[in-house]
Amino acid sequence: MFTQLIINGVIAGSIYVLVALGFTVIYRTVKFFHFAHGVVYAAGAYIAYTFTISLGVHPIISFFLAAALAGIIGIIIDRLVYKPLRKRKAPNLVFLIASFGVFIFVQNLLQLIYGAQILTIRTWPVKEGHHFFGAVITDTQILILAASAALCLGLWLFVKKTKLGKAMRAVADDRIAANVVGINPERIILAAFAIGSALAGAAGILISLETNIEPTMGMNAILKGIIASIIGGIGSIPGAMFGGLFLGIAENLGIWKISAGWKDCIAFVILIVFLLFRPGGIMGVKSGGERL
Amino acid sequence: MEYILHILVITGIYIILTLSLNLLVGYTGLAALGHAAFSCVGAYASSLLALNYGLSPWIGLLVGACVAAILGVFIGAPSLRLKGDYLAIATFGSGVIVYSVAKNWVSVTRGPMGLPGIPGFSVFGLQLSEVWAYLILVAIFVLLTHFVIRRVVNSPFGRILRGIREDEIASLAMGKDVNKHKIIVFVIGAFFAGIAGSLYAHYITFIDPSSFTVMESITILLMVVFGGMGSLPGSFVGAAILVIFPELLRFLGMPSSVAAPLRQMIYGLLLIVLMLKRPQGILGKYRWK
Repeated sequence: MFTQLIINGVIAGSIYVLVALGFTVIYRTVKFFHFAHGVVYAAGAYIAYTFTISLGVHPIISFFLAAALAGIIGIIIDRLVYKPLRKRKAPNLVFLIASFGVFIFVQNLLQLIYGAQILTIRTWPVKEGHHFFGAVITDTQILILAASAALCLGLWLFVKKTKLGKAMRAVADDRIAANVVGINPERIILAAFAIGSALAGAAGILISLETNIEPTMGMNAILKGIIASIIGGIGSIPGAMFGGLFLGIAENLGIWKISAGWKDCIAFVILIVFLLFRPGGIMGVKSGGERL
Repeated sequence: MEYILHILVITGIYIILTLSLNLLVGYTGLAALGHAAFSCVGAYASSLLALNYGLSPWIGLLVGACVAAILGVFIGAPSLRLKGDYLAIATFGSGVIVYSVAKNWVSVTRGPMGLPGIPGFSVFGLQLSEVWAYLILVAIFVLLTHFVIRRVVNSPFGRILRGIREDEIASLAMGKDVNKHKIIVFVIGAFFAGIAGSLYAHYITFIDPSSFTVMESITILLMVVFGGMGSLPGSFVGAAILVIFPELLRFLGMPSSVAAPLRQMIYGLLLIVLMLKRPQGILGKYRWK
């Protein structure tokens, strides 16, 4: 039972990690809460659904297409909403509220197009899982874990090794100084939105292999992504990875004793405890919850 | 006619919610995104007292508002140590927690099944059942809320609130107890939200957690921002337009599977356009910093 809960926690956590990583990549360059990130995640799942089920494209190809399109959605949101706000040097809260607006708009657009009912991408039969130290893990779940780990590793290498990744870190540290040495922050922000949103899209696609999809799925995802980012240490990439796994495991261990409906409650209680007692998160970043 | 009166009653309830949230958001500059939590607690407390103990809705209303105010202290005191975005996320989180308690504490709240058969108000032994009677009742509470909040914001206390909004550190330097003021504001806001929740419960006679989601909190925030931050007439305008306007969609003969998301899409779009073009709202004087 215990091993099973840990495994479930790691699987749920690996999805949170992807959402939190995408959120973090964007947060590092723009320094505001991109709440609409959640709806990009939902859009990723729905686009994958359209390609696989409605158009009959091979699942693997359609997943890559969907992740790419999710990246493009991220760029469109940035260009249409955030860029004008950035030009006017709007305060963070205005960005957050506008982001809520985008979230509500796109979520209901999805509902208008696809209907409010749940849809499912899985067409292949459900196979019995592998037994592993008294716990069961299915092939799909192994795929989710592997894909998530690969994306984490890929992002890590990208940020550490490539020129664009280095430029992104420079902008994250100090946007003005980065501009002085000839890095165009707008280009970096564009890249951050593309990469971050593609990660969210990928997370949405992966979760749709395991569960049903519905228009409201983005809300839960972004809340968990934000919580994972804050408890890991906002703006920190290892922090987002650690926070996501921590949250996934904590939630699943929590429902060991109480019913599953309390999951969200557990997550937010953890968040509030962190905000109050360790606002810098586990990684202890300085820019965490500002205190008076 | 009945329908129009019903819409007006709902508008009145939203005006109470918008006025009380405006005190927090517009006058004190606190980004509180969990306002529906307070009306949820008020509604449930009042309904449960009436259903389980047969108490008069009038007592329930008062108790509900007080319970909401106490919740205001509990949510306010810890979250006020945070600022800006973080306060927004923390209050949003408390909204999720309260919603999730209402949904999962089945033995008390009956969870998603909701509480049916909540008794209505009665005056001198006379049961209020007509919609127009409720309209008068709600109108009285709207005026009462407006009166109290106007007195609060125009008092020296209100001046300190605006001081906190404009420059918190300067207010501290002037020797004002910023945290105490913030908590009092939270309590007043929560109290009136509790009244609104209780009125709603006894008017509709049925509540379930889906009436108090976090989206509801965002809708109330939209009403505040749309009408005008830090403007009491703005709260009337904001709540009235945003309740009545989407009702017009009904007359276009749209099925509810189209009208419901369309209405939300308009809300979302409105939030974006407001933030881009006029972040202080129609009648507002204050912008977020």
